[in-house]
Amino acid sequence: MNKKLLLLFVFLIAATGINAQQKKADKATEAFRYEIECAGIGTDGTYLIKVWSYSKNAKFAVTQAKKNAVHGIIFKGFSGGAQGCVSQKPLASSPNIEDEKADFFKSFFADGGDYMKYVSESSDGNIDAADRVKVGKEYKIGVIVSVSKDALRRYLEESGVVRGLSSGF
Amino acid sequence: MKKNIIKNALVLIAFFSMSFTFAQAKKPTIMVVPSDVWCNTNGYMMVFDNQGTKTKIPDYKKAFQENADLLLVIGKINTMMAERGFPLKDMGAAMKSLESESAENSMLTSKTGSGVVENPIDKLKKVAKADIIMQLTWTLNTTGPKKSVTFNLQGLDAYTDKQVAGAQGTGAPSFSAELPVLLEEAVLAHLDNFNAQLQKHFDDLFANGREITVRIKKFDSWADDLETEFGGKELSAVIEDWMAANTVKGRFSTTDSTENMMLFEQVRIPLADANGKSIDARGFIKGLQDFLKKPPYAITNKLMTKGLGQATIVLGEK
Repeated sequence: MNKKLLLLFVFLIAATGINAQQKKADKATEAFRYEIECAGIGTDGTYLIKVWSYSKNAKFAVTQAKKNAVHGIIFKGFSGGAQGCVSQKPLASSPNIEDEKADFFKSFFADGGDYMKYVSESSDGNIDAADRVKVGKEYKIGVIVSVSKDALRRYLEESGVVRGLSSGF
Repeated sequence: MKKNIIKNALVLIAFFSMSFTFAQAKKPTIMVVPSDVWCNTNGYMMVFDNQGTKTKIPDYKKAFQENADLLLVIGKINTMMAERGFPLKDMGAAMKSLESESAENSMLTSKTGSGVVENPIDKLKKVAKADIIMQLTWTLNTTGPKKSVTFNLQGLDAYTDKQVAGAQGTGAPSFSAELPVLLEEAVLAHLDNFNAQLQKHFDDLFANGREITVRIKKFDSWADDLETEFGGKELSAVIEDWMAANTVKGRFSTTDSTENMMLFEQVRIPLADANGKSIDARGFIKGLQDFLKKPPYAITNKLMTKGLGQATIVLGEK
């Protein structure tokens, strides 16, 4: 009986810890605590980007990368550089939209939310050694992902979050 | 009772569909056009003698018939714009359609044998045109075996001559990629930024009204001119007062004003009139035409327009 209770106690502590780490990772996303750089010209309708995420647990940094990628494409944009990359502006014309449409984005960026439909990992989960950096107590992990920006923009337009090019005409 | 409910529902549906129709602004047409620089570099120019001066003009027909890369780039841009819900006017197709229309006009006769009337101005206006021109230029750079493409896309408002959007840059040099691949990459890399600026231009249009150009001219047969006084006020001042009263927030610039002509630029007109009907330069300046026709001015005048954003009133005759 005692063993069972102990196991349950350990399980609860582990679950709470995981939940806390996820919340921390989500807070980092909301605070734009991630970096995005272009990783090449993606195929038609997609952006190929490398997302640098921070977490004490390397595994969380990898899973949060997809959320950060979609968040960044909507609100942050990214700068150009090598591989023929050109700086791209964010899909949202105003950064205030995140606050104005808080309810929409809360469910959109929830775990397993709709954002998952528009992003996929390009490296099959393998992280290059150079993309795994220990900064103080945290890991800074770089993951290459592909974001279906055309489909994402269409979804945001249909949801009334951003204006379409032909809106009003 | 049932009949009344259906009747009320129908009235409501009609009302909402009318409001929806009226709330829409007139959609500008956009067309991709190769720039003069590109046509000159690639040998698609015509030379003609303009009263002793050799003048070069782009030969678009030849460019569209001979350059497959041009078709590829324009086709790619058209496809991507259509995906954004904004299909473009195709220049090659517009030119063909004008040619076939000219052929049809020359053959068209009524049952009594009358032909279609076309004056010199009508002929001059028969060119492929759009409200916004996407001017396209690219150059192929070679450094040893490496190739890269410098790409330049400019969105020009056909009436105000302002650049309303643009995207420029040079792609990554490549040893192996073919020119069409480099061009396709350039379009993919630059079009989103171009569209972001175009969106800003449209947002400004919805917030501050459409920007148009208005010209006032006079026929030489008219005895009066723009300095003629009506109730102690010169006609040019009367027209300026009308513009101030009817433009959005009174915004317009009188660029030129003489006794024979006036040029108004940066004229901001509302997208819909007082009845909620969407208007363009023609709809707006029709108000001035009617105003001048009425007493005390009673000036007969002719109204001509070009697309959505340019209007000219010629005073004195029809």
